[in-house]
Amino acid sequence: MFSTLIQKAQSLILEPPASSPSPAKPSKSTQFRNQFRLPAKQTLIQEISCEMSLSTGDHYTGKLYLSEAFLCFSTGSSSTAAPASPGFTLPLCAIRRVERLHSRSYMFALSVTTWHNDLRLTLQFAGLRPSCERFCDALKKGLRTQMNESKNLKILTDSCYSEFLLAGSERKNSGLDGEKKEEKRPDTGLGVLFKYPGDTKKLRDRSKMRLWAEYLRDNGRNITLVRQPTFQKLIRVGLPNRLRGEMWELTSGSMYSRLFNPTLYQDTLEKFQGQHSLSIDEIEKDLNRSLPEYPGFQDEEGIVRLRRVLQAYSWRNEEVGYCQAMNIVVAALLIYMSEEQAFFLLSTLCDRLVPGYYSMTMYGTLLDQKVFESLVERTMPILWDHFNKTDVQLSVVSLPWFLSLYINSMPLVFAFRVLDVFFLEGPKVLFQIGLAILRISGEELLQATDDGALISILKDYFARLDESAHPNSPNEKLRAVTRFQELMVVAFKEFAGITHSTIIEERARHKEPVLKDIENFAKRTQLRNLGPDSKKLDKEDLSNVYDRFYKVLYERQERDLYQLEEAAKAQRGKDAKSEVLEAGRVGLGASVTIMSYDAFREFLSGIAPWARHNKLMSPWGGNQVPADHEFIRRLFKRWDTDFNDALTLQNVVSGLAAIKGAHKDIMSCISWFFELYDDDGDGRVDKEGILKISEALLFITRKGFTFETSTPPLPGDDNRPDEKFLKSVSEFIHRCFEYADPSHPGNIPSTPSPPSSPDPSDDEEDEDSDDDLIAFESIQDPTPPKPKRKKEANIALDPQKPLHITLPTFRMVILADEALESFFERGFTASFSLTPSTSTAPIPSAHLSTPSAGLPSVEAARVGIRGVLDGVVRDGMRVAAEVRRRMEEEVEKAAAGAKEAVDEEEEKEEVGRVSEGDRDLLSGAEADIRSIAEKPLVAEGQKEGEGEGSEGGVGVKKEEVVVERREDLLQ
Amino acid sequence: MSDTGAPKPSSSVKLVLLGEAAVGKSSLVLRFVNNDFQENKEPTIGAAFLTQKCNLPSRTIKFEIWDTAGQERFASLAPMYYRNAQSALVVYDLTKPSSLNKAKHWIAELQRQASPGIVIALVGNKLDLVSGNDESGEGAEAPARAISTEEAKAYADQEGLLFFETSAKTGEQVQEVFEAIANAIPEVALKAKGAQGMGRGLGGSAGEVAPGLSMNEPNTKDSCAC
Ligand SMILES: Nc1nc2c(ncn2[C@@H]2O[C@H](COP(=O)(O)OP(=O)(O)OP(=O)(O)O)[C@@H](O)[C@H]2O)c(=O)[nH]1
Ligand SMILES: [Mg+2]
Repeated sequence: MFSTLIQKAQSLILEPPASSPSPAKPSKSTQFRNQFRLPAKQTLIQEISCEMSLSTGDHYTGKLYLSEAFLCFSTGSSSTAAPASPGFTLPLCAIRRVERLHSRSYMFALSVTTWHNDLRLTLQFAGLRPSCERFCDALKKGLRTQMNESKNLKILTDSCYSEFLLAGSERKNSGLDGEKKEEKRPDTGLGVLFKYPGDTKKLRDRSKMRLWAEYLRDNGRNITLVRQPTFQKLIRVGLPNRLRGEMWELTSGSMYSRLFNPTLYQDTLEKFQGQHSLSIDEIEKDLNRSLPEYPGFQDEEGIVRLRRVLQAYSWRNEEVGYCQAMNIVVAALLIYMSEEQAFFLLSTLCDRLVPGYYSMTMYGTLLDQKVFESLVERTMPILWDHFNKTDVQLSVVSLPWFLSLYINSMPLVFAFRVLDVFFLEGPKVLFQIGLAILRISGEELLQATDDGALISILKDYFARLDESAHPNSPNEKLRAVTRFQELMVVAFKEFAGITHSTIIEERARHKEPVLKDIENFAKRTQLRNLGPDSKKLDKEDLSNVYDRFYKVLYERQERDLYQLEEAAKAQRGKDAKSEVLEAGRVGLGASVTIMSYDAFREFLSGIAPWARHNKLMSPWGGNQVPADHEFIRRLFKRWDTDFNDALTLQNVVSGLAAIKGAHKDIMSCISWFFELYDDDGDGRVDKEGILKISEALLFITRKGFTFETSTPPLPGDDNRPDEKFLKSVSEFIHRCFEYADPSHPGNIPSTPSPPSSPDPSDDEEDEDSDDDLIAFESIQDPTPPKPKRKKEANIALDPQKPLHITLPTFRMVILADEALESFFERGFTASFSLTPSTSTAPIPSAHLSTPSAGLPSVEAARVGIRGVLDGVVRDGMRVAAEVRRRMEEEVEKAAAGAKEAVDEEEEKEEVGRVSEGDRDLLSGAEADIRSIAEKPLVAEGQKEGEGEGSEGGVGVKKEEVVVERREDLLQ
Repeated sequence: MSDTGAPKPSSSVKLVLLGEAAVGKSSLVLRFVNNDFQENKEPTIGAAFLTQKCNLPSRTIKFEIWDTAGQERFASLAPMYYRNAQSALVVYDLTKPSSLNKAKHWIAELQRQASPGIVIALVGNKLDLVSGNDESGEGAEAPARAISTEEAKAYADQEGLLFFETSAKTGEQVQEVFEAIANAIPEVALKAKGAQGMGRGLGGSAGEVAPGLSMNEPNTKDSCAC
């Protein structure tokens, strides 16, 4: 079951962080992961009180935790999440052996031997026997499943300088100095080639390294290291150059991601080699501008490494891509670590340590500025007041501190000292340092009256960090204290109260307003840039369209994420508490800004009642289940002016502007509708289009629409608006066909032989194209035509007689009917209600009482006279469907005459479904249907499948459409 | 009270530079402040702050210059820097069509969100790259001008902006831009700045805007703007 662990661990890198700086109440697993710096997919399986002792005799009481792949111990409580407190984070694959100790029968103790044989831990459980047993069972299971991960261990440890360091001292001891071993020296960054910044003597690098070698010998190293209080102290005095990179990745936890993904970095580079993106361009521009003062970046070697790491990350997390300042941070990392180490550390930074800092909206940066300000206000109220009074804006200086982790603000050697502590203790360090800077410079800052003064005071302060903090003190020891040391003391002593939980709480407190601000800004900017079409819409409407557009995208993403999480949860079967889910929110840098067809349906269902499913009273309470209809599809296609099968906000706004925009009158509405169905833009809509239009009209009005009739109908009158509209639509079909123009004037007389086709080659083309019909006819040519019965039957309905209507005809037909006129005058436009409160498309009350289950006919029969409306509208749809079906039946009959009987049966059934009450309503349409039934048959000689694009082919296809539509009726 | 007194009055003017990444904002400032040019200028992270005096016949203007980062995602930080600015330099790159579009967006934003009465100059930079076309000074490699003077000028006139084409590299027209801005700053605005700092008065009803990063637009009356 855990065989997919590699995948899971990979997804840490692949996936955008789920909930970034959000945790209003971080779940227990989140806290657990944060405390031990575990990869994203680890969950807390077991925990138990425990005493840990080392072979050196040191022992600690605390808690032991077990996740899928880690055994962790800490003396700190998980709620305060102090990652620096004594303990360990041990990957299960790095455990060689676990033994039950039976020294004293009442005690439950384990002896753990790790990968580094010299490190042995004794864990003495303090708990009831059953819980101890449970823990052990889970541990056993975990050890088994993790066994095969140990192959990665070697790869990892080989790249760790600590191994080399200790092996080196052993080499010396044993007297055989390894010239050959030198080759295997792990990559410890550009510093090896271009020197590490600072004076190694002054940094006392040698003696630091000695102390570390000692520590690592006794307490395990890299993956098996045990934290004792000395560990934190050694880090606070500054890491030695060659161990720095390894310690950064260990304390930040990025080492664990690297452990489980030994090939991810190389794979990424290979996979995306040579590919282009905006980020790649942006990275290229900044390569020569990253820490240019460091010799390694004046050299191609440094540039090449920087490029690779930034590119690989931009591919792995396209949501973040590349943000200026990342170049500086990565450049700094590369001085001390390999590319691969830097790649994983950058991931850990972006995902956990400074979440959202480099995102598309940089919300993390803005959020932490707010947090910082509130901490300044709390801890230095006088200074804060001063800033307020003089209108000095603190973030103008502090923002770059955080964004580039002080690397750009302080001389490099000091910035690295800050990073040492930052990776161990977490983001709170950035705040503590910032507060300490202000505290130390407080007196001077109180003299500053504008942003400029603030900036120059602090610039000056940073430039003199290496000077004595007390140059005039008689005490020599005090004189030796540098200003940087003073800074560290103030930061970690005076501001010791600023803990991880302080930051978490403050972030949670400010998060919403910051996101709101960003979203307002984004909205303002985007709406402003929408161009002239947006001006045609009412401001409030526009604002609502924007909100709705992103709400739909946001909710869809959230739903997807939730489903993913649910699926994962079902698989895991634990950690029932759902994590804070957030995705797609604009403020967080939503990646999706385009709407698929399904999203569009959802969007539409919020602004147009007809775009919702008929099922009003859905059992799960949603009455906004989006409908699907040919009309909606057309709308989508029409609005998709960039032809990428997706809509941008611009597309939607322009689309809506064409319908609802100012100065829209009935004529433009009619033209718009006509053009929607004039697929090839030749100013004609063919028979197929006419039927589709009538279907659309019924679809849009199936829930009623506002009429403006001169004589309001009496209650109970046959001519109730919706019934009237149904009649109007069947009239519409009738009239369209009546006034339609034949597509080939020369063809109208029953002359059997049509003129030869000009281009028979495109007979597989679009069914709506006239040319196809010509082609079709030319194919028909050799077959002797059947004599046509010249009745008064509408010749137009003969599928062999292509016809079309033009815009003037269409207009005339519409204007000839009061209901249709009203529909185009107002009803259609009004059916889009962009601003919810002023909904202008009423849903008839009769509809609300309609039970939704069952077939339309059953339903219609049940609802009785007053409730007929629903059925009427639906039956109206059926009229159109029926018209179409009959036609196609004719075609089919012609193709396969024998099937006639079967078809008729179906037809009977169909009619039978119409309840008695509706029959007379349909009479208008019946007439049409009858006339179709009587119309001449199609040439019998027509072969099946002949001419794909011809009417015959269409007939087969359309049968499907009808079925589809039936389903729609049932829903 | 009267500006006609013997010592030339001196006042500070806050100026913000906006525009697409790498159009040469920082280079223009460097040219104006240090009369220098660097081929590989570091990108601006967040924003940079510099000051420079500008001597006019009647007065001295001390520019407090905020040079912002051009990368798209830094745009949401910009309000923090143009807050209370009395003038703005919106820069585009003469050889890059997209940069004028970006400039237009910035101008629209400033007109709605910045202090009312802000003096805006539209500046097309990197003139040196295209001026060689007629005089055949540059090699064939020189990028072609992508935005004609007429087009940009027409837009500037329509929006009521100052307009210049400059080269930070040669220094052409750089001093002139800043002088023109200095001259265009209304006397009243300078007095408001006076001795006690710029205060909050400028932004109209900006009293409640907390310092610190404020995305809250300074002039709340325009907050519905879209
Ligand atoms: N030929 C020429 N190059 C210029 C000119 N101005 C700037 N450049 C170059 O264009 C590049 C970008 O200049 P910057 O001043 O850093 O641009 P910016 O607008 O500040 O960029 P960001 O800080 O990233 O927003 C540098 O390589 C400059 O040398 C100019 O007038 N002519
Ligand atoms: Mg710059």
